[in-house]
Amino acid sequence: MTDTRQHLAHQIQHAAHLLPAQGPIGVFIHHNTLHAFEHQTFDEAVRTGSKVFGCEPYLTEDRYREELSRGRILFSELRSVLERDLGTQANETVHGLSSRLDLRLAMLQHPLRSGDGRELDWFMAETDALLKARRDVSEVQRKRLITETRHWVMRRLRGSLPGVERPTWIDDLFLRFKETRIEDWSDASWEAFTMSALWEVCREGVRIAGERTPDSKPMIRHRDLMDALGGMDSDLLVNDVLIRFCAAFLDQGIAHWTLPERDRGFYHAFNTMHREGGTASAWWTAGLREEVARLQDAGVSALACIQESLDALGVKADEVEDFISATLLALRGWGGMIWHVEQRADRVHHAVPQDSLIDFLAVRLLLERFAVREAARVSLGYESDLTTMRAELKQRLPSVRPNCDKQRAFLVFQLAQVLGWTPEQLFHLEPQAWVVLFDEVESFTELDRRRVFHLAYEHRFRVQTLDALASRAGKNVAPKERPSFQAVFCIDEREESIRRHVEEVAPTAETFGAAGFFGVVMYYRGAAAADFTPLCPVVVRPQHWVSETVDKRLLEEERRRSSTRRRLGMALQSFHGGSRRIVSGAFFSATIGLLATVPLVARVVFPRLTARFRGFFGSFIAPPPVTRLNLERSCEKPAPEESGHGFLPEEMINIAERILRDIGLTSGFARVVLFFGHGSTSMNNPHESAHDCGACGGGVGGPNARAIAEMLNDPRVRTALKLRSIEIPVDTIFIGGLHNTANDNLTFSDVDRVPSSHQFEFEVACKAVHEASVRNAHERARRFGSASLGLTLAAAKRHMEGRSEDLSQVRPEWGHATNAICIVGRRVKTRGLFLDRRAFLVSYDPAQDDAETAILARILGAVVPVCSGINLEYYFSYVDSPGWGSGSKLPHNITGLLGVMDGALSDLRTGLPWQMVEIHEPVRLLFVIETTAQAFLAIMEKNAAIKTMVANAWVQVAVMDPVTGALSVYHSGQFEPYTSQAGPLPVAASSKEWYTGWRDHLEFAEIKTAA
Amino acid sequence: MPFHESFLSWLGLMIVAPPAALLAIFFAAFLLNRRLQEEPIGRLIQGTISLSLLAAVSASAIMLWHRVAHHAIELGDWVITPHYHLKFEFVLDLLSLSYVMLTLVLCAVIGAFSTRYLHRERGYQRFFVLFALFLLGMVTASLSDTVETLFAGWEMVGLSSVLLIAFFQERPSPPRNGLRVWVVYRICDVALMLAAILMHEINGAGDFDHLVGDRAWPAHDPLLIGPHFTMLGVLFVIAAAGKSALIPFSGWLPRAMEGPTPSSAVFYGALSVHLGAFLLLRVSPVLDSSIWLQVAVVVLGLSTSAFAYLAGRVQTDIKSALAFASLTQVGIIIAEIGLGFRYLALLHLLGHACLRTLQFLRAPSLLHDHHQLENAIGSRPREEGVMWEQRLPIKVQHWLYRFSLERGYLDSILENWVARPFVALFRSLDGLETRWARILDGEPKTKEARDP
Repeated sequence: MTDTRQHLAHQIQHAAHLLPAQGPIGVFIHHNTLHAFEHQTFDEAVRTGSKVFGCEPYLTEDRYREELSRGRILFSELRSVLERDLGTQANETVHGLSSRLDLRLAMLQHPLRSGDGRELDWFMAETDALLKARRDVSEVQRKRLITETRHWVMRRLRGSLPGVERPTWIDDLFLRFKETRIEDWSDASWEAFTMSALWEVCREGVRIAGERTPDSKPMIRHRDLMDALGGMDSDLLVNDVLIRFCAAFLDQGIAHWTLPERDRGFYHAFNTMHREGGTASAWWTAGLREEVARLQDAGVSALACIQESLDALGVKADEVEDFISATLLALRGWGGMIWHVEQRADRVHHAVPQDSLIDFLAVRLLLERFAVREAARVSLGYESDLTTMRAELKQRLPSVRPNCDKQRAFLVFQLAQVLGWTPEQLFHLEPQAWVVLFDEVESFTELDRRRVFHLAYEHRFRVQTLDALASRAGKNVAPKERPSFQAVFCIDEREESIRRHVEEVAPTAETFGAAGFFGVVMYYRGAAAADFTPLCPVVVRPQHWVSETVDKRLLEEERRRSSTRRRLGMALQSFHGGSRRIVSGAFFSATIGLLATVPLVARVVFPRLTARFRGFFGSFIAPPPVTRLNLERSCEKPAPEESGHGFLPEEMINIAERILRDIGLTSGFARVVLFFGHGSTSMNNPHESAHDCGACGGGVGGPNARAIAEMLNDPRVRTALKLRSIEIPVDTIFIGGLHNTANDNLTFSDVDRVPSSHQFEFEVACKAVHEASVRNAHERARRFGSASLGLTLAAAKRHMEGRSEDLSQVRPEWGHATNAICIVGRRVKTRGLFLDRRAFLVSYDPAQDDAETAILARILGAVVPVCSGINLEYYFSYVDSPGWGSGSKLPHNITGLLGVMDGALSDLRTGLPWQMVEIHEPVRLLFVIETTAQAFLAIMEKNAAIKTMVANAWVQVAVMDPVTGALSVYHSGQFEPYTSQAGPLPVAASSKEWYTGWRDHLEFAEIKTAA
Repeated sequence: MPFHESFLSWLGLMIVAPPAALLAIFFAAFLLNRRLQEEPIGRLIQGTISLSLLAAVSASAIMLWHRVAHHAIELGDWVITPHYHLKFEFVLDLLSLSYVMLTLVLCAVIGAFSTRYLHRERGYQRFFVLFALFLLGMVTASLSDTVETLFAGWEMVGLSSVLLIAFFQERPSPPRNGLRVWVVYRICDVALMLAAILMHEINGAGDFDHLVGDRAWPAHDPLLIGPHFTMLGVLFVIAAAGKSALIPFSGWLPRAMEGPTPSSAVFYGALSVHLGAFLLLRVSPVLDSSIWLQVAVVVLGLSTSAFAYLAGRVQTDIKSALAFASLTQVGIIIAEIGLGFRYLALLHLLGHACLRTLQFLRAPSLLHDHHQLENAIGSRPREEGVMWEQRLPIKVQHWLYRFSLERGYLDSILENWVARPFVALFRSLDGLETRWARILDGEPKTKEARDP
């Protein structure tokens, strides 16, 4: 391979980093959508991202203004954010008329219309823009504007006074308004005259200030140019062929007949398929067959083919990288999936060869050569060479100058009204001042305005959160008695509410939050599962295997049941497969087809009943309820085979110690300690896995909870822990469980092992957590429009159960849609605080940490990337749903078992669907960490990943002093003390009392019962 | 007329009236500029379909009880000229009642499904207006006893289907695909229109009774012989082929998957795609008039089925795979009609529609189901079947695979050899006209601009 080829391959790899990083959808892992730009600051990155991907970086200005008018953004805060943003420049005056701060505030506050020149012409002619002042101009301001103009006209402009400079446009205006009768002009005429004068003076100003060429969209690809000229979209032609081929190439098991030659690579398979037949293929592919044959016969490699295409398309060496990026992004979902599958062969059943992305690009460019040529010929009459096409088409682009001038004048025209600049003042501006004025106005672009709005939007929420935490400083000392029971949940913000309810139901209980894999990193296989799934954060690769087996006494039973399952499964499979074939399909549909109405009606009309019915029959073939984990290994090396399953006792001791130290539970154990993993079940939901536990890499965390409980119950582990100064009382037992976040069911494992001495305590705890889960369901129900606000507790629980079994339900749960905060610290600091399911709660006790804060460092090392990944994915999917997210869920169509398309032929849709993020408030995650500023800065220095996220402002950080409870907020490299201005929090008797009757996000409050 | 007969007529009208009333309510709301809330819409849909279904079930019960096999309901003439009369007439018989009940049951399920599925969707009301139009169209078409009544229903179904395909209008591809489907529908509508004219030419009326005599479906007086009947049959087959996506019109079927899942389920998986087969069942006596016509129908059905089976095997997305699976069976049903197995075809049609609707509605669960299946079987579910294609020579395999992947090149054939020449022809005529107009205007030739 020559150097140029290598360079080209390198360039392609570089461009590939722009592709969406989402893997197969069956295991959904949240990650920062703009991961590729994390080295830039948040603001720079979203701007670059919006340029590269053509998506929105922030919410729209109108949306922010709406938030301003309903008080979600406060004007005073907007002002202070802007002041801070401008720094010392805030009070400089702009050309003597207004201060920069006022100018920018006006631009933020008042919606400024802009548009194409023709649109503005229409606007001027058809609306009262030139007759009346804007409606948002105050009455005083309006009067002043008119009076001053009137004075100016009457004193100076009528007749031709010597030495008075008269505007060139004034005579026209006088003519239009009938100057001869000026003394009879009505107020309305004067207003219209003022507006017209203002407009004319602004237009004059543009002429004086001189030309400015607007930034035009860079037209890298031929298709962009053709698009601008109103030609045919060549991507439509190419995508039609390419999408089908990509899907066939990547398919993991939907098609019954897989792509021949698939294992020899994308490029090879494409060429082989396209050198035969195809006389009737699409009109624009004439000649493709011969070209493909030539490529194959001459043994042209994919890279060489890319080079040929680049040459043929006239792409010069210095634009190759941009061109390749833009070309790959034209079908980014598919390109990204090929790239991902190529890299992570372990995540799919059917891997693809290395360099598939290069193959993909080669085919894309090959097709593009044909499509571009034909599309240009047919729609633009362009017949000459492809190499010079872009240059020649550029000549044809119309000039934008006149339009642009009008837009600029109109901007100042509107601002003059709201800021009270009179025509006279503007008329006397020097040419240089006009230049400055336009620069000033135009430099505060729409994007800047949205950024400032967004800062104010986040500011409001940050203030609320910090005030809530500050108001509790000094309160709540941990109770001294032994707690009635303790429950450890995942840090997930969805578990915030159930923890609160547990504490309300049982005020003597304690709860903790730990990342939901509980330190047990494993490949796990359930008794009824075929394969191992990794249950740990994505960044870790497990070294251990754990499987679940049915209790020895029930083995015979299980053998019978599993063979029934197998037979039923096979029957179902051949039924579904058969229904797609000719003869068996005809047989099935003519004989038992009509019976399909029974499940059809039942499942749609009575989802919950049907599910219970199915569950009842399912229980006869499910594995018997008594199972065991193969948790302990005797051989030295772990292995996927049965004998290598499990951990060594030493490993278990380390895991146990780590989790206890992380959450700060090293003394004061209750008699019963519960661990809850979580997962979610829903029907008809391709994104089901996105609702599972993020800390388990999109898996269900029940087995982890079960494993950690079993480890902690092991007497050897306890003895060893005692030596490491963690003394677990003999009468403490640990029990694992699973919380289903969709239907709020709680299940426990190894209940048969609970000793009779603890039966009573266990039942008490059970009752409490079940009651809490029902209340949790009730709290969740308030967010769903289809659940009435007046539901009783039991009805709300039933509603949730029905929801998760309903085929027609596109919102089985809201998932992480409410995430906004992450609090790392002792529960006493937040206990009794209604956090509205918005906070990830990570238990950490600074008092037990060492001087180096090693525990905090390892907690943050895991928590910062996971939580910020979730938060940023929600941010982007909400801010531009069709762009960064996957748009509406309703037309989604599962493809290749890998992802979803819109309809039958579209790009793979990555990101989250709108129905998952609908209620999200797009704010960057606010970390509040119970530690000192120095300790946090030291951790940042040591951990590059945390440093990137914090220093580049992808997350917000505040620290709470462990001793004084004082808060300080991170701001560009240092912490600034935060002083709360707010009074005490509102108090409610219970969570229910606080949230009743309200659907939207709620303010924080103090809940008495749980405190 | 005995009481039960007049009661039957009343019941027959009660099947059609609720959907018509529903649509009227929607239009009235539109005229009064009122936006209906989600809940009332849901209740309206439920109420309408329940009433219609109740009427249909009672009508069937009465017909069974009194052993009435055929009951026509005349609604009077619409237009009468010396040579033609257009009239509205409905018929209750085995075919119409089973198809209307199928329609109502499936629409009831889909209606219930959609009220939740489309919750908070901006086009909620629009969806249900189209849904109501579709329902009325289907009910009218299935009960029709004259070709003009059928045509009215047929058009409503076509229009609502196309607008539902283009439901997500903010993206470019749904309207584009909707337009393509619309073009195909119009072509088949022209065939149906010509058939209607021909029927009037033959009989002076569009009544199916005049063709088949008064005996109940599928029996008829075997009197239809002659080239005009064959011609009529050909037109009906073309109309049916467009609606049922038979060869060479199959290309629109996967394009119709752009709409929300429930509409693709009920319309393309179940009802709309079977409407062509229903038409052929209704006019089956015409098919019997010529053995060649029958052979042609059988060949058309079988080749569509074979094509759809091949294309379905290589589809990699679940909705297209199901769409082609549907088409495979529709082809067989058409072939059964051609062979004269009318009862079998009807049974096959009903069973297939229900089965496929269930599969379509569960399509988004594919990953879930796949995973469960994998666990039950203990290995990766793999299509076992006969991998017959692997016994073919390698070149044939490649050729056949690409043929299937490109969906039989049907789209490009239509585009290359019909659409583009058609457009080119009219473009050149347009150019010609412009030139003439210029010459007539007396403009000097030098000013002539290049044709776009």
